[in-house]
Amino acid sequence: MGEEFAPRIVGFLCNWCSYAGADLAGATKQKVPSSLSVIKVMCSGRVEPALMATAYLRGADGVLLAGCHPGDCHYREGNYYARRRFALLEKTMETLGLEPERLMLAWVSASEGQRFGEVTNLFTEQIRQMGPSPLKKALL
Amino acid sequence: MESNGNGTSVLVIGAGVAGIEASLLLANSGAKVYLAEKASYFGGNVIKWEEVFPNMECATCMIAPKQQELLQNENIELLTLSQVEAVQGSVGDFTVKVKKKARYVDLENCIGCNECFEPCPVEVDNEFEEGLSKRKAIYIPCAGALPNAPVIDTDNCLRFKGEDCQLCQEACMFEAIDYTQQDEELELKVGAIVVATGFKTFDLTQTPQYGYKKLNNVYSIVEVERICASNGPTEGQIILQNGEAPKSVAIIHCVGREEKGYCSSVCCMASIKQAHFLKNKLPTVKVSQLYSDLCVPGRIYQKFYEEVKKSGVDFIRATVSEVTQQGIGLAIKYKTEDGEESTLNVDMLILAPAIEPEIGSSKLAEVLAIPQDEYGFFSEEEPDLDSVGTSREGIFIAGCAQSPKDIPDTVAEAEATVGKILSLSR
Amino acid sequence: MAKKIGVYVCECGNNIADNVDIDRVIEAISPLRDVAVVEKYRLLCSEDGKEYLKQSIKDHELTHLVVAACSPKQHEHTFMSVCEAANFNPYLFQMANIREQCAWVTQDKEEATDKAIRQIAAAIARVAYHEALEKRDIDVSPDVLIIGGGIAGIKAAQVLAAPDRKVYLVEKGSSLGGKVKGFDKLFTKMESGSVLIKNELKELQEDENIEVFTDSEVEQILGFFGNFEIKVVRKAANEELDFNVGAVVLATGFDLMDPKGLTQYGHGKLDDVYTSLEFEEMNFSTRKVLLKNGKPPESVAIIHCVGRENKGYCSKVCCMYSLKFARMLKVQLPKVKVSQLYSDLCIPGKAYQKFYEETKGLGVEFVRAEKTNVTQNGKSMTLKYESETGTKGDLAVDMVILVPAMEPSSDTNKFAEMLGIPMDDEGFPAQEHQKLAPVASSVEGVFVVGCAQGPKNISESIVQSEAAAGKILSSLVPGRKLELEVKTSEISETFCTGCKTCISVCPYSAISFDDFRKISVVNEALCHGCGVCAAACPSGAASVKNFAFTQIYQEVEALLK
Repeated sequence: MGEEFAPRIVGFLCNWCSYAGADLAGATKQKVPSSLSVIKVMCSGRVEPALMATAYLRGADGVLLAGCHPGDCHYREGNYYARRRFALLEKTMETLGLEPERLMLAWVSASEGQRFGEVTNLFTEQIRQMGPSPLKKALL
Repeated sequence: MESNGNGTSVLVIGAGVAGIEASLLLANSGAKVYLAEKASYFGGNVIKWEEVFPNMECATCMIAPKQQELLQNENIELLTLSQVEAVQGSVGDFTVKVKKKARYVDLENCIGCNECFEPCPVEVDNEFEEGLSKRKAIYIPCAGALPNAPVIDTDNCLRFKGEDCQLCQEACMFEAIDYTQQDEELELKVGAIVVATGFKTFDLTQTPQYGYKKLNNVYSIVEVERICASNGPTEGQIILQNGEAPKSVAIIHCVGREEKGYCSSVCCMASIKQAHFLKNKLPTVKVSQLYSDLCVPGRIYQKFYEEVKKSGVDFIRATVSEVTQQGIGLAIKYKTEDGEESTLNVDMLILAPAIEPEIGSSKLAEVLAIPQDEYGFFSEEEPDLDSVGTSREGIFIAGCAQSPKDIPDTVAEAEATVGKILSLSR
Repeated sequence: MAKKIGVYVCECGNNIADNVDIDRVIEAISPLRDVAVVEKYRLLCSEDGKEYLKQSIKDHELTHLVVAACSPKQHEHTFMSVCEAANFNPYLFQMANIREQCAWVTQDKEEATDKAIRQIAAAIARVAYHEALEKRDIDVSPDVLIIGGGIAGIKAAQVLAAPDRKVYLVEKGSSLGGKVKGFDKLFTKMESGSVLIKNELKELQEDENIEVFTDSEVEQILGFFGNFEIKVVRKAANEELDFNVGAVVLATGFDLMDPKGLTQYGHGKLDDVYTSLEFEEMNFSTRKVLLKNGKPPESVAIIHCVGRENKGYCSKVCCMYSLKFARMLKVQLPKVKVSQLYSDLCIPGKAYQKFYEETKGLGVEFVRAEKTNVTQNGKSMTLKYESETGTKGDLAVDMVILVPAMEPSSDTNKFAEMLGIPMDDEGFPAQEHQKLAPVASSVEGVFVVGCAQGPKNISESIVQSEAAAGKILSSLVPGRKLELEVKTSEISETFCTGCKTCISVCPYSAISFDDFRKISVVNEALCHGCGVCAAACPSGAASVKNFAFTQIYQEVEALLK
């Protein structure tokens, strides 16, 4: 009997905004999918495409990158680099036929607890519709 | 940050953005800081805003790192629910009596889980949310408020009114609720004092022609800030009293300016910010601003005004004579400078009130023995030259406690008081 | 040495324990690699909890520590202090968030437990790769260089100077006092600017901790916060002086926009069209307001906001000083007719409206006007304007005072460039943070105050000088070293190819190029540890301490097992 597919999503959250927003989601008792796993980085600008690709290649069904809203980066410009790199990664994934829809970039501020819940639920549902990552079969 | 204890100790009164900045700088220099805040939370007025102009940065995110730093700084003793009762002595050697009201919650044990609210049977208007939502008698004013621990409002709590209720204590897993806590009288020895007590807004019921609290859907700009706030009573949804989104909004500037006799500096920008926010959230909304003189001083504000104007917001130079209810909407009668009279019909009216000194300023001025000016603001030592000193050496003022101003000028004044204090001890 | 990872799971009273099966968690993580001890505790952040943790670290001789509890943003700091108390390196420690991001957001207890196990396993895998990091500090100079000897520079010097802190005040002109020394009257008390400067200078000259350089220029500024190397040249003597300071204050003031380009006003063509500074000068030097023909004017027009449209910003102080001019005129020439042509009256703050109303009460006319132009009309001039609604009007005047926009002085631009401060869209040096750090520039240790930072009045300039002093006095304490960020970026000499990509992306200009070794080097005094360089580095040479690829990879792998 098959269990409902729970998408394994790895989220890279920046310390100052999105991680704080995720904490606030907790403090305000939002519902966040339990299949989301979180990695805290200091800045979304730390997350190079290779890291996100690695998560995907290691079997994540979806990869989320969350940072401060443009203009609000604690380190001034880090999130702009994150944005550019993400666009590049999406393009690369597309070129390689690797479903760029399994990646998501979201801006979540420290006061957006509810939004964090919304974003993660939306993304999880999106991935659920898509099904497990095709790479999983290759890994097993 | 570790302190080297340079022997200086300072009392900062008011833990808004000015008080926080002054405290952090002083603490980082090695000074011991007592930060007295009369509310149960700190962050002042800035944490009520959703976004600040003109870069539309999230206000709480902007100030959160500073708040965290403050809570973790060993040189700063944050005294919430505290007010200054008496000050004696002189610069370098003040003795201050502070009354610290009981929170009835143990800050060491409380982990901020909020479990104690649900069982409380009392519900009253939440002042932080400008009365737009309710709170319990044991409460935290809003999600994310710091310190993350509730306070018991003894005026409304059943137990403190004589009944035998202990539902909150029963719900607490950490033995954090302590009804036996007492108010404390603290005696502090400090070398200098910074007054950063901020502001309140003009009481809009004094200008009844605009219909505040009389007509439907007339709001003060502070109420609208809470409506727009993602951690506010509507979780950021901009809705009228009937739950629908407004299709047309008017913002009236300078409400109370005539009564007060001065320009409050920031209201034009705050109004423009509101218009920008509204247009972003409700792209088809029609926004009109009624003003007399547009005050967008300095190098960064005009650009913001021009962008907002370009986005389709109507700026009308006019004097408003009367606001009346028209069905569920409002009719605003106004006159432009050429004498022509018109009426603007809108769903929602936002009033931008004047800025006044915070409640209790007169009492504090008396306690500190420093003069107030004719408007009730604390008087600076030398108008036009020294904005942060007062006539009493060792006592400094910063921010809107001195005169209405924006956040950058407030922060600069807070930093200036630190400059003067640290150079005193040469 | 074999690793011994201690894992402590906090129940947080019932907050975690109710929603996460802690015993199952312990069961699942105990067999993980290098895990030496797994314990649970009711409330680790309590005094008892901290004491227990400290003792346990010592007793088990742990090499690494994981605490699974609330958010690290709550108590990472707390537990790092516990590590220090236990003589345990606080950087060999990692927290797993099983409260805010697990227990509190997951309804199903089984799922919450699975998630907790994953996050803790990730922390365990990661921490095994942590390095022991040490806090570092550097010697700094508490001295300060102030560029610009106007009111802002003078005030900054006064507040900063002390026996253990020298201040160097460099002024390119022959005397201190900037623009203010040439103002006969200042609003709102209508007192003398030159007397103010005289008094301030007296105080300055008596202070032996302030070294004043006039007729001098700052030729070079190298180094960084705490350690700037300054070169000053005394022009007349062609003498060069080198000294070190910890901070730099830029107080180079403003220039007025030249209205000659705005031909509609007739400046430079018509005899009696003056800029505000020219009017101040005339009034100050002769104490008399006279036309070019030697007679006093009978009617004066003051045109506000000249050049505002071109500049795109409001210069903040001009409405007020225009009112001041009106008063000065009325005092000197009681019968003179004064008209103010303006668009919006900018008089913010508690004191200015009263000043305006009193000025109006003197009989000064206020005309809201746009599209103003000035032409010669026989012996006098005609000023034509339009109201906002299009009604045309005109005035016969014999003197026009133009109130032009305030720009950053050319020196401001020069030094901003020298210091590497980017300029904002309006041409002023960019601030570290528009709201919360108004006097700090984006270059650490360099402060921009007064009108160099943006148009403002004298009291605001003084406040900014004092504010810069406050920031400097707070961070550069004589005898105290400057503590550096611990988790900084580092660039491996072996792997760096000298491509300089990291240098181009660093938001703090914290990376420089070593021309000799042909590699990039991180200045740890400036690095904030954001990691943008590490992400950009094509060869993996750049890495952030305790946020290295290998460490983060461990988390990824453990989370996806």
